[in-house]
Amino acid sequence: MATELTIPKLEMSMTEGTLAEWMFESGDHVNEGDVIYILETDKTAREIESPATGIITVTVADGETYPCGTVIGEIA
Amino acid sequence: MAQGNLGIEPEMLKAIYGQMARIRAVDKAIQAGLSSGKFTFTYWPMTGQECIPATVSQLTTERDYMVTTYRGIHDQVAKGVDLYGMFAEALGREGGLNKGKGGSPHISDPSSGSMVTSAVVGAGPVIANGLAISAKQRGEDRVTIVNFGDGATSIGPVHEAMNLAATWKLPVIFMCQNNQWGEYTPIPEYTASPNFFGRAEALGFRGVQLDGNDPAAFYKGMKEVIDSVRAGNGPVFVEALTYRMGPHAGVGDNYNATKDALAAAKERTPIEKTRALLIDAGISSEDELNAVEAAAKAEVDDAVARALASPVTPASETTVDVFADDTCVPKRGVYPVREAEAELTGETKTMTMAGAIVDAQDVAMAANAEVFLLGEDVGDPHGGTFGTNKGLQTKYGPLRVRNTPISESAIIGAAIGSSIAGMNPIAEIMFCDFMGVCLDQIANHAAKQRYMSGSATHAPMTIRMQVGGAIGGFGAQHSQSLEAWLTHVPGIKVLYPSNPIDAKGMLLSAVNDPDPVVVLESIMLLFTQKAEVPTGDYRIPLGVAKVCREGSDVTLISYGWELHNCLAAAEELAKDGINAEVIDLRSLVPIDYYRVLESVKKTKRAVVVHAAVEFCGLGAEICSTINEELWGQLKAPAIRLGADYAPIAYSREIEMSQVPNTDAIVARVRASMKS
Repeated sequence: MATELTIPKLEMSMTEGTLAEWMFESGDHVNEGDVIYILETDKTAREIESPATGIITVTVADGETYPCGTVIGEIA
Repeated sequence: MAQGNLGIEPEMLKAIYGQMARIRAVDKAIQAGLSSGKFTFTYWPMTGQECIPATVSQLTTERDYMVTTYRGIHDQVAKGVDLYGMFAEALGREGGLNKGKGGSPHISDPSSGSMVTSAVVGAGPVIANGLAISAKQRGEDRVTIVNFGDGATSIGPVHEAMNLAATWKLPVIFMCQNNQWGEYTPIPEYTASPNFFGRAEALGFRGVQLDGNDPAAFYKGMKEVIDSVRAGNGPVFVEALTYRMGPHAGVGDNYNATKDALAAAKERTPIEKTRALLIDAGISSEDELNAVEAAAKAEVDDAVARALASPVTPASETTVDVFADDTCVPKRGVYPVREAEAELTGETKTMTMAGAIVDAQDVAMAANAEVFLLGEDVGDPHGGTFGTNKGLQTKYGPLRVRNTPISESAIIGAAIGSSIAGMNPIAEIMFCDFMGVCLDQIANHAAKQRYMSGSATHAPMTIRMQVGGAIGGFGAQHSQSLEAWLTHVPGIKVLYPSNPIDAKGMLLSAVNDPDPVVVLESIMLLFTQKAEVPTGDYRIPLGVAKVCREGSDVTLISYGWELHNCLAAAEELAKDGINAEVIDLRSLVPIDYYRVLESVKKTKRAVVVHAAVEFCGLGAEICSTINEELWGQLKAPAIRLGADYAPIAYSREIEMSQVPNTDAIVARVRASMKS
């Protein structure tokens, strides 16, 4: 089953986050715990770890800001 | 390091590490789930504080009570809360420990001894006292441990709790997990007195400071503390030094801390330090510890997978668990018919309302050893400022009629905690105006415990509050009618008797009710009302209004002392040929809309009268329901009459005119009759 990747809500006050940089491209194999992208909020920049092991598909561009909950890709 | 120099048995150190590993696995799973967007809930990380509950767990059992805070997931894990139920709760699922109604900041799991989790900083200690009272009163050897952060030491109820626990030598441990941060604000920005354990000494009991990141030292210190408290030597305040590695809320590092401070704290984090110690001392091999960590991860992975498979708690559950009985919940269009009390037939005795209240409590205390009273000056010879408990301390002793410090939060918290443990406390708050200083305990804790816990626990307690007004000269802070503050909070029942018979019968029902009940007692009525009151265990069902005067032209709906003004107004109106029916609501929650609507269907006019401020008062609610339900049948819209929008004045002339008097009621009814 594919694991959906969404922009997380890391703070009570967080409504959106900037996907600063993808560390993988679509088709890459990732392991659970690998840093898959850098997320910037108004408070901090954070390395986001992969929640699953599998092949990643990236569906949105980095360098953009997205609301929390936006689907940004999946791991299958 | 040689094993003999550890200061702790190797097996104990391994056991503590095992709990730390479970906490770490839970912390990592939550942070990963939130980071990936798999979970969406608020998390208050406890990263860095794992050693404290991991160690305490080796010294306590599920029989010992725990109270903790929203930043207490580590406490829950070490206490033995089922991880599946905990994750399902955090995710708002049916399979949650509390049906997904409380969430992680409100876990209540009596099977593991995790009794109350509060999201209000510093609210737990007063409740912990109540749990400790129950253990002490029942002769049990349980200890109660209440966890809170250093930030909580700044709020009033923590001080109240410490003072009461010391005064009553309660078997409670105030576990201050000093993580150096009060939310986003560090010590010393919020206090000039950061030696928190010293505050205990100032209040006459023992305080100790321990290294909460060193399992050997912490175990040794806590063993002595827990043994002492268990042996009945009174409370201890433990300041457990640690460091919060995460932010106040969310995931990741504590971004408010400087890089240097965080790096220094990282050197002292208990999990890494303990792991290295186990290997260096030759107690565990790398492989063994890897296996411990893998087992913890497997346990957590299984819990998370099952929790995610549990259905989200559905909207059909909305009003379930507000009260024990869902029919007590006010719902538009649903007006249950409740059976009224039987006609009086048995033996009676002449009593004032104050005497009837004493009698009701006497009956309740004689019947059930778990009923006890607490409040300011409730003991003899006064028996309460208004004598509503006179003679009871003499009869039942100082442990069942407990004089308290002037500490309303401590009073209500103690009642909540002891009732959660199954006792039936009656707390007296002299003057409902002082509700303001304990409203968090009433509205956020007593009222919500059943709901937030999905009925895993509940607070079957009674609060009696005296209400000023209609006497004159009490001023703005001793004369208010604040019932609407209470009726607006789901989960609390509110009674307001107008005579000695009801005062007794309703109070006995309140004490035996499974939900928290506030009984409002008009000071003016306490000694002006006399009646032939049934002796013995006489009860009046809650949620049953009473027609006090039958009539055909208009229905006057009231309660408490204004009921008597309505009866007088009805006699005045009769002189004009207006035949008024007068209904005494008696119970405001649950409310008896059935009898109200039946009456107004007959009279086709209604005036709701109360001493509370008219604007946003209960009268507006009742009128709205009447107008909506009986629109088309009414000869005039239902109207209300309450006090003018002003604080109660000291001037007798103002007070007697600003609150509805007989003349004002007559005038308002006449206005209704014109339409």
